[in-house]
Amino acid sequence: MSEDKRKNDIDEGQDDGTTKESRRDFLKKMGVAAAVTTVAPAATAATTKAASIAEHLQTHFEMMSDSQKEAAIARLEKRYSEQFEKQVTVANTPAPDEVLFGYALNISKCIGCRRCVEACVRENNQSRDPAIQWIRVLQMERGNDTFELENWHKGSPSSSRIGDYGVQSGGHADKAVGISGHTDHYYEPEQVPEENAFYFPVQCQQCEDPACVRACPVQATYRDPNGIVVIDYNWCIGCRMCQLACPYWARRFNWSEPALPNEEMNPKTHYLGNRPRMRGVMEKCTFCLQRVRDGRYPACVEACPVGARKFGNLLDPESEVRKILATKKVFRFKEDFNTEPKFFYYMD
Amino acid sequence: MISPKKYVRATVFYGFFAVVTSGLVLQDMPSQATTPEDKSGAKECYESIKGATELVKKDNVVPKYGYPNVKCSPTTGAVLWYGDPYDDTEPMGDMPTFGDHTDGDFAQAVIRTRTKHLKTIIQNGTKCSGCHPAADATTQKNDPRELMMHQDIVSNATKLQHGRGAIWCFDCHNAANRDTLVDHKGQEISLNEPYKLCGSCHGVTYSEWRMGLHGKRTGEWRVGGKKRWWTCTECHNPHTVQEHRFQPIAPELPPALPRGMTKDDFKGASGHGGH
Repeated sequence: MSEDKRKNDIDEGQDDGTTKESRRDFLKKMGVAAAVTTVAPAATAATTKAASIAEHLQTHFEMMSDSQKEAAIARLEKRYSEQFEKQVTVANTPAPDEVLFGYALNISKCIGCRRCVEACVRENNQSRDPAIQWIRVLQMERGNDTFELENWHKGSPSSSRIGDYGVQSGGHADKAVGISGHTDHYYEPEQVPEENAFYFPVQCQQCEDPACVRACPVQATYRDPNGIVVIDYNWCIGCRMCQLACPYWARRFNWSEPALPNEEMNPKTHYLGNRPRMRGVMEKCTFCLQRVRDGRYPACVEACPVGARKFGNLLDPESEVRKILATKKVFRFKEDFNTEPKFFYYMD
Repeated sequence: MISPKKYVRATVFYGFFAVVTSGLVLQDMPSQATTPEDKSGAKECYESIKGATELVKKDNVVPKYGYPNVKCSPTTGAVLWYGDPYDDTEPMGDMPTFGDHTDGDFAQAVIRTRTKHLKTIIQNGTKCSGCHPAADATTQKNDPRELMMHQDIVSNATKLQHGRGAIWCFDCHNAANRDTLVDHKGQEISLNEPYKLCGSCHGVTYSEWRMGLHGKRTGEWRVGGKKRWWTCTECHNPHTVQEHRFQPIAPELPPALPRGMTKDDFKGASGHGGH
């Protein structure tokens, strides 16, 4: 897609976004207002897409009784099925026992094809417009730097008000002689891998000590028994503190009503996983919770054409990830933050 | 220094603020372009090697969810997502036992039948032995020479780079039965089980593949679960592997740029900028 075409799309998207501020939203707000004042059952006569009053008033998923969970799931299944015009299931599959999920990614194999990104979008019901993606692939050119002898005098230290003593005192320290290690998110070559480039996909690192969970003021995001950081989308207040806290840029916010065409919607969902989100809530990678709790590999693992992505149980010494930890050169991204990611990068 | 009490108060306040004002703020934030989708959809998709791992998209393979066997990229024709990871596979069969740490649980492993996807066989509508009967075997010498056919597979047979000149066609292809491969001990090997041949030279890679470290699996994540194992020739073309260990492919579209920004805004090498 050309730059101009994309720009048009963006503009159109914006127009849509503003005009779609609609009756539905109005009714939703009215519904909430009515609920707060009178808890009027008549207010549920909103459109099929809008969440019901009961959905707005339900408690945190982990605090619900079994019957409350059943009711909440039935409500969602009804709403989604009507909205997407097909049978949608919202599972509450429990976390398997004695499992701690871990992920390993071989950066010497990754070719930067972005199939994982697209597979993730198809699996996890992300908004197509605006397009939300949970995985971002960074491209780095080998030896890309701008260190040139002729620039040496352009950098700091520069002359300053205390005199030209070869020291930097205040002012802007942004006159670098050169920089290195620049990453590109938007690379668009004919073919990958490119010569002299390597690729670094980033997604939620499923930290053992997650900064996002600490930051959440309402505990809408929390660590599940398998070590996956999940979100109760209905409990999320959209304050975006978790997004600020995350050092990995793993969290995405639904700034506008997510647009998800009916025929592309994945009807197999989990309450804590890929069920369709609403405007004003956070979302992120859950290691495809709806799949891994059923025993399947995450969608990105299956999509990778070079087998750079490995997934398994960190508590099982025979698992692929544990064997990688035992035999490969492994590192964790931004390890110095002590967030203890369970997402490992490695090299052959 | 912010006291914890203040922090909590700020948290509550900001949370409240966010809820109340979300409707107003939303319109000003960056929007992103639409990802083109698989609507009518390419029916012919490929997995790892374009031209050698093609498959046909089939609708409603998993009726419970209305899943197709695969979802393909509308821009590149790449297989992106598996509705049924075991579609078009068969049991892997016996694996040699080494009595070491690479002896895994192969009982549930499945592989895709390569012979059904080999272009040369599909195009000619016959097996290799249809054109190359076994009687040929005695007249064929295994010396590098120009090929009269199959230049699409090996463009210059006198300079075959696999093995860097040390081996030629019949070191891997069975001269006595062209429908099979052969290892250096004369053992006949199915085209569907290339790992038994490749592994006889590439031992380290083979053992890593058996452990699950090298190569690709789809299916269940549990050790010993039902998995489809990608075999060697589903990712590597043995005839061109010295030029490209993995044949380059077209990437999927990049993410949309933030509104109002161009690619040049992210060219960090000329100054500061980007991430």
